[in-house]
Amino acid sequence: MPESSPTAPTAITPEAEQLTASVKALQDAFEEHRYICSDQIATAVYLAYHLHKPILIEGPPGVGKTELAKTTADMFNLDLIRLQCYEGLDESKAIYEWKYGKQLLYTQVLKETLEDVLQGATGFAESVGRLHEFGDIFFSEDFLEPRPLLKALKAEDGCVLLIDEVDKSDHEFESLLLEMLSDFQVSIPEIGTVKAVREPPLVFLTSNNTREISDALKRRCLHLYIPFPEPDLEQRIIEARVPEIPPELRKHLVGFIQELRSMDLKKIPAISETIDWARTLVLLHADSLDPDLVRSTLNVILKFQEDIDSIDNEIPALTSRAASRR
Amino acid sequence: MDRTLGNFIRALRNNDVRISTAETLDAFSAVELVGYRDRAMLKRSLSLVLPKTEDEKAAFDVCFEQFFAAEDLKPEAGDSGGENGEADPNAADGGESGEGGGNPDESQAEGGERSGKAKKSKKPSFGEPEEEEDLGPGPMSEVQSELGKLLMGGSQVELSAAMAEAGNAAGVEEIQIFTQKGLYTRNIMEAMGLTDLNGEILSGARSPEVPTRRLSQELKKRREWLRENVRDYVERQFLLHADVSGKRLREELLRKVKLSNIEHRSHRLIRDIIYRMAKKLITMHSRRKKIYKRGQLNISRTLRHNMAYDGAIFNLHWKSIKVDRPKVFAICDVSGSVANYSRFMLMFLYSLEEVMPKVRSFAFSSDLAEVTDLFDRNNLEDAISKTLRDYAGGSTDYGQAFVDFKKLCLDDVDNRSTIIILGDARNNYGEARAEILKELYDRSKRVIWLNPEPRSTWTVGDAEMGKYRAYCHQVEECNSLMHLERVVGNLLKTVA
Repeated sequence: MPESSPTAPTAITPEAEQLTASVKALQDAFEEHRYICSDQIATAVYLAYHLHKPILIEGPPGVGKTELAKTTADMFNLDLIRLQCYEGLDESKAIYEWKYGKQLLYTQVLKETLEDVLQGATGFAESVGRLHEFGDIFFSEDFLEPRPLLKALKAEDGCVLLIDEVDKSDHEFESLLLEMLSDFQVSIPEIGTVKAVREPPLVFLTSNNTREISDALKRRCLHLYIPFPEPDLEQRIIEARVPEIPPELRKHLVGFIQELRSMDLKKIPAISETIDWARTLVLLHADSLDPDLVRSTLNVILKFQEDIDSIDNEIPALTSRAASRR
Repeated sequence: MDRTLGNFIRALRNNDVRISTAETLDAFSAVELVGYRDRAMLKRSLSLVLPKTEDEKAAFDVCFEQFFAAEDLKPEAGDSGGENGEADPNAADGGESGEGGGNPDESQAEGGERSGKAKKSKKPSFGEPEEEEDLGPGPMSEVQSELGKLLMGGSQVELSAAMAEAGNAAGVEEIQIFTQKGLYTRNIMEAMGLTDLNGEILSGARSPEVPTRRLSQELKKRREWLRENVRDYVERQFLLHADVSGKRLREELLRKVKLSNIEHRSHRLIRDIIYRMAKKLITMHSRRKKIYKRGQLNISRTLRHNMAYDGAIFNLHWKSIKVDRPKVFAICDVSGSVANYSRFMLMFLYSLEEVMPKVRSFAFSSDLAEVTDLFDRNNLEDAISKTLRDYAGGSTDYGQAFVDFKKLCLDDVDNRSTIIILGDARNNYGEARAEILKELYDRSKRVIWLNPEPRSTWTVGDAEMGKYRAYCHQVEECNSLMHLERVVGNLLKTVA
């Protein structure tokens, strides 16, 4: 398959080349940036980098989807361009917009010189002809306000583009993304097609699955699902993020969260909540979990009063179970 | 190797993972990058490229394990001699190419082919404990039959190729049910030339010459070994091909079968089907919505917003047609006879959340109550079972139900409302209260009555359909998923 074979990756920077030499190297680099990732995640970034494919990341909220993009940008030393999606997002917010104000200002200024331009022109046809010589100056790049997608394409040294919560946008916007994702280019009617300058951006899309993403979009992306982490992985994450927490407490806390996840709650605590909780406990100088402490800090991990009420009775049991968990 | 990946993708497709050509190409590039060597890495990579939903990922995992385990089997089977024969290094060699001579133990005169045999003779690990005369090692006579030659001399690769060929000839891809495995195994063996081999073994065993008898024994062992392999092969094919076509068949059937006849164990499958149908309707109708939204220039708004630009019109605003949010009231009879239909209709209505305007649902058997809340708070399945649990008790009373409905929310019914009633109109000879239905009929945009019974029985016995149908805009027979899909599709056309 000569055509579709991946082109030899031209590294963004020499370090990047080193980083992406293998999945292991990537994983270590992530770890250095305090992002502990599973093999699956590292493989995804590895493939995305080498195959020039966007990654669509799905998973419950708070498992580090956005963080992955941020850390990747950090790691490769690239700019992060972020496009937050919401209902009603359209191309004028996502791709480009004309600088109407500037255009208007310039027309006003040029009004006065208009006569000079038209001087000596006889007849309507000639006048129009001369005006045409101005060409489409007003619709040139000088008057173009690039929005995140266009910015990402124009970034000289490549960049990481994060399209956050793509499921919040409309169906129409998804279709708008297709050209960008498959060919790394956008078409602007007045100017033409803008292609990625040198290196196509590394694109991350995240979705919380509030609605099904269209097949067309999925087809163009690698699909990474980040689940809640296994206990070991979560421990390592906490260790990396909150290093000052005592190991015993860390084990206990992760155990507790893992227990909670198996319960029927409205909102299951994610990694971000675990981290917050760990920070809270460190702040409170706690060195072990006891039911009272849990009860008083429960609002850090559970965000609904309903959930808090429902587990209130079970806190002692949960705490002891979490402690016996290894 | 590329064929392997192609086959794998085919197997995935068979297991309901949708894979487009573009994704296939991606998979090839990914494999080119990571190679086949690291199995875990391969799995991770492919799982990023091929499956695109959680369900698909689960299917992918199963399929990958099955498929690549199966692929690994082949060389192992070839090497199995290495474990119990002392001719270790040779066995491995023999597994790869039977012709590979150069064995120091072997006399030169025996030649390449013989050496291959000798190595292999220790291979079959399942030597049956049949009382056989011990002929000891020694020269064997030439093999005559095609299959025999393949078994004795051919490499593992050739053998698999022959097996695959025979498999194709026997149409193993069409295997449908579990019990066909034996049949296909036999057919494949036959296609490979089993008859000739059997003949040779039989005649060989009777032969007075030791080398021929020895050959016969050897062939017999290898025939067993081959049978085992073919059975594995068929098994694999069955897992990859049959399981699904069976499922597809079942789905096709389930769409048409009467909803009340669906067994409990099929509910999951039904839910999947409903979900897929709903998804189809959603894509169809959300596209339509877009056209509705497109309007003309909204002059006043445009002028107002361009004041900042000195009245020069730069920023255009368009009129858009406000999408009306009409209401749907679903009134479901949940008494024993129609409970199942109600279940699936509710499932369908709520699967359409994305395009369907707000649905308010009511359940009744004798008394009617609103269950919208249940659906807001619980997931679909729980809500449905709770509804059925709480309201399915009494004997059907349509009159009472209408009275209750009138009391509950007649005021909310306006000329944008669609009322869907699902029930068999069997009123146990109670009062019909059709005048209330008339009131609803007058106030609402549409009243649709879905009756699970066939039309011919609508007025038989205690059925009041005759009275009620006069006050419905539309009455439909509705007792299978296909009907349901049609009705809901029509509903969306008029509602959205």
